[in-house]
Amino acid sequence: MTAIALRMSGADFLKLRKKRWLVLLSLFLTFGVVAIIYLVTVIQHASNPAEHGPAGGAHNFSDGVRALALFFGPLVAILIGVEAGTGDASAGVFRDLVVTGRSRLALFATRVPAALLLCWTVVTTGFVLLLVGSIVFASGLPTPSTSLVLNGLGFMLLATGVLCVISVAFASFTTSRPGAIVTLIAWQVVASPLLANISSLGSARKGILSQAIVHFSPVSVEGHRGATVSMSEGTALIVLVVWVAVFLAIGAWRTRTMDA
Amino acid sequence: MPPPANDPATSDQQAGAFAIETHGLTKRFGERTALDGIDLRVPRGSAFGFLGPNGAGKTTIIRTLLGLTAANSGTMEVLGYPVPLERAQALRRVGAIVEEPRFHMHLTGLENLRLIAAVRGPDAYPRIEPALARVGLSERAKEKVKSYSMGMRQRLGVARCLLADPLLLILDEPTNGLDPGGIQEFREMIRAMVEQEGRTVFISSHLLDEVERTCDAAAIVDRGKIITQGTIAELASAGEARHELILGVDDPELALSTLGGNELVVDVHRADGGLRVVLAGDPETAARLNATLVRAGVGVTRLEPVRHSLEQRFLEITARLDEAPVDAPASETHEEVRS
Repeated sequence: MTAIALRMSGADFLKLRKKRWLVLLSLFLTFGVVAIIYLVTVIQHASNPAEHGPAGGAHNFSDGVRALALFFGPLVAILIGVEAGTGDASAGVFRDLVVTGRSRLALFATRVPAALLLCWTVVTTGFVLLLVGSIVFASGLPTPSTSLVLNGLGFMLLATGVLCVISVAFASFTTSRPGAIVTLIAWQVVASPLLANISSLGSARKGILSQAIVHFSPVSVEGHRGATVSMSEGTALIVLVVWVAVFLAIGAWRTRTMDA
Repeated sequence: MPPPANDPATSDQQAGAFAIETHGLTKRFGERTALDGIDLRVPRGSAFGFLGPNGAGKTTIIRTLLGLTAANSGTMEVLGYPVPLERAQALRRVGAIVEEPRFHMHLTGLENLRLIAAVRGPDAYPRIEPALARVGLSERAKEKVKSYSMGMRQRLGVARCLLADPLLLILDEPTNGLDPGGIQEFREMIRAMVEQEGRTVFISSHLLDEVERTCDAAAIVDRGKIITQGTIAELASAGEARHELILGVDDPELALSTLGGNELVVDVHRADGGLRVVLAGDPETAARLNATLVRAGVGVTRLEPVRHSLEQRFLEITARLDEAPVDAPASETHEEVRS
């Protein structure tokens, strides 16, 4: 990255991190949710240890990783990505950026690292709390291994990162914040699981993004690491790359050609 | 704020007399032609008004010049660079406010300028503080823009333009939302930029008085066409070639009878608390007219030439356009007006 690109990304990051509602909601969906889960399970364990096991330990850590990487983290990624993709247009300042003479593709490209930086910062805070809790509240249960911690972190960053990049690009394409948020959440939470369970679709289901992501999970999610559709890791990787590349291409095309 | 580098030899501008030059610029939105073969020449180092009623195509030409929307045909040069071919180079020393200035409302004025400086490049950062000082916003720079009044946002918009150390400022309806004091300050700032710093300022406006007071030259646009362009004086005097006087006299009846039928006078009637006289000859005829009245025993207390304003000229033009047959081809209509 050149110095100007770094400064432009830094400026995009400033726009995002100063959106108080965005940062607070994102922190609630990660750090806050993990804190609430620990609070509830710690109270349950304290009040009835025979019925409710300890809140910490490796098993609960795995459950937490799954929840962060496949549900709450993607929600945060979508919120942040969409804000990064639509922020300039919705504030009406995109034209002021264009009249600087700077390439529109550069304006689009610098949104991606800014969104990733905020997204990964936020989900990592939730992950750190999850890890700390899994050790502090283990009460004699085995704690997560270093390998599980690192793989879990890597998986969470991959899952949220892919969703974040796609969200930036899709929002840049639609330029509509509500439209992009509703569409992406509906696709990820409702449509994708439904499609993955329609067996008549056969191998076409390998193209479903969430199915490809789950193949990199270090923790068990339902069947084969949670994947309804079986595919090799190479295929899963190709699916991820194609999704990201296609969305980046349409986002860049739209940013380059739209009336500002 | 240091004066801009006006040396044509620098890489910041190409040689040429015009800051903006377009030929046959045409922009269509579906069936509607927003710009119809615009030929525009904005001299360097001047304040240039782009005058027209709402919907005439003022904002469209600005958006086209700045690359916010693409033209369908024609050529454009900004600071000597062909646009859109060398758009980045052309816009490097251009500051622009298109329609109303917009900002990230959740950020401070200072942060908003930092965002633009990041995009413009490292040269822009040292200009932030002077630009804020120039528009009188240094004290409020660390407040969120959502707390700013419309006038403050206009000034912040100008500060944002100054980050480019602009050779050319393009301002779209810049006095919208300003109070009378703000308008006066704005006018003075524009004149200082032109006269002291050698910048070119292109102002689109539907406010005739604003253009007349601020600009050296102007173009009148209507229905996507340039009707006429020239200096303000040329435009104002280019109407019907007649010279008028307002006379104050002690005996209006005697004055009317003396001037009625006089060869120096085309028309005379009571108006404006005196008599309004249309002269048959040039303005020097007024002296002979005065002598005639004095010889007839009429005391002349006031003799004031009527100054033709840009507003009168503008209204003449637009009235004639409105009177043109609806089914006449647009080009014929406008040629008639030009002649």
